[in-house]
Amino acid sequence: MKYLSICAGLMLAAPAIAQDDPNRVEGLAAWDRIFTVTAHPRCTNCHVGEEGQPMWQALGYGPDAVHGMNVRAGESQIGAESIPCDACHVTSAAANTVPHAPPHIDDAWRLPPVELAWLGKTSAEVCTQLRDPETNDGHDIASLVDHLQNSAFVNWGFAPGAGRSVPEGSLDALVHDVTVWGAAGTPCEGD
Amino acid sequence: MELTVNGTVHDMDVEDDMPLLWVLRDELGITGPKYGCGIAQCGACTVHVDGLAVRSCQLRAADVNGNVTTIEGLGTPEALHVVQAAWVEHQVAQCGYCQSGQIMQAASFLELNPEPTDDQIDAAMSGNLCRCGTYPRIRAAVHSAAARLRGA
Repeated sequence: MKYLSICAGLMLAAPAIAQDDPNRVEGLAAWDRIFTVTAHPRCTNCHVGEEGQPMWQALGYGPDAVHGMNVRAGESQIGAESIPCDACHVTSAAANTVPHAPPHIDDAWRLPPVELAWLGKTSAEVCTQLRDPETNDGHDIASLVDHLQNSAFVNWGFAPGAGRSVPEGSLDALVHDVTVWGAAGTPCEGD
Repeated sequence: MELTVNGTVHDMDVEDDMPLLWVLRDELGITGPKYGCGIAQCGACTVHVDGLAVRSCQLRAADVNGNVTTIEGLGTPEALHVVQAAWVEHQVAQCGYCQSGQIMQAASFLELNPEPTDDQIDAAMSGNLCRCGTYPRIRAAVHSAAARLRGA
């Protein structure tokens, strides 16, 4: 009987232990900071999902502004079916200095994979998407960190130039948070 | 730097960050591409780089990485490009200011999609503004040019 009581006590305590696991708490806190970045219009303007219509949010055209010229990325994700992104978004390492001009980076401008839709998604939705290689473009945490550090798009996102708004924090802080989140076992709300 | 425009190689002495549109108009006297907005919002400056339409106001001279073609090099009065011929057929131009950009955009688009629908034409041409509102004639001319390119 005494043995059963101990077991029952442990079973009841188990969820509380998981909830209070310092690793998990730290991981969820890191995720919250990661989500403030992924939810920023600098990211969601292109992470639009299957619709393929980039946005112009937080650019002074109103909260629901879609990209001008009725631009659609199409199946190609580079607008090849209508107006290719690089008709206006030049591949150049030069600084972005002109407000309202199409930004350029030292890479071919394109939309992210459609499964990486962030626009309008909840924190839990983006969290479960980003930890799964099936929905995060095949990344584990190490390659995700490598992507963050080396992608011209991500780097531009934190230094878009010409007074454009930027996500809170820094690229280094984001890399740190993704590392912490990964080490904690990529916890998400609702696990 | 060397720049090939309409088949001619030019040895240019210009600042790296001079927009291609400035190089064409001010340095080479090629005035078909027009200045409209300077921020890729209107399409009047559209030229081709290796056959693809680009807004020349956005392309720094140092970043040009292919052969440039302007409206002057697309066709000649004696041998019009099919898109130019269709523009004449449909009398598209009104004031004409935007039309070289429109034609260059249409010519590039038809290389990618030789049998476009109305919606596809509208989508491809929606970055080229026309204050005279010649859009219905532009659409008709693009259809005509597409038919000619297909040999119809």
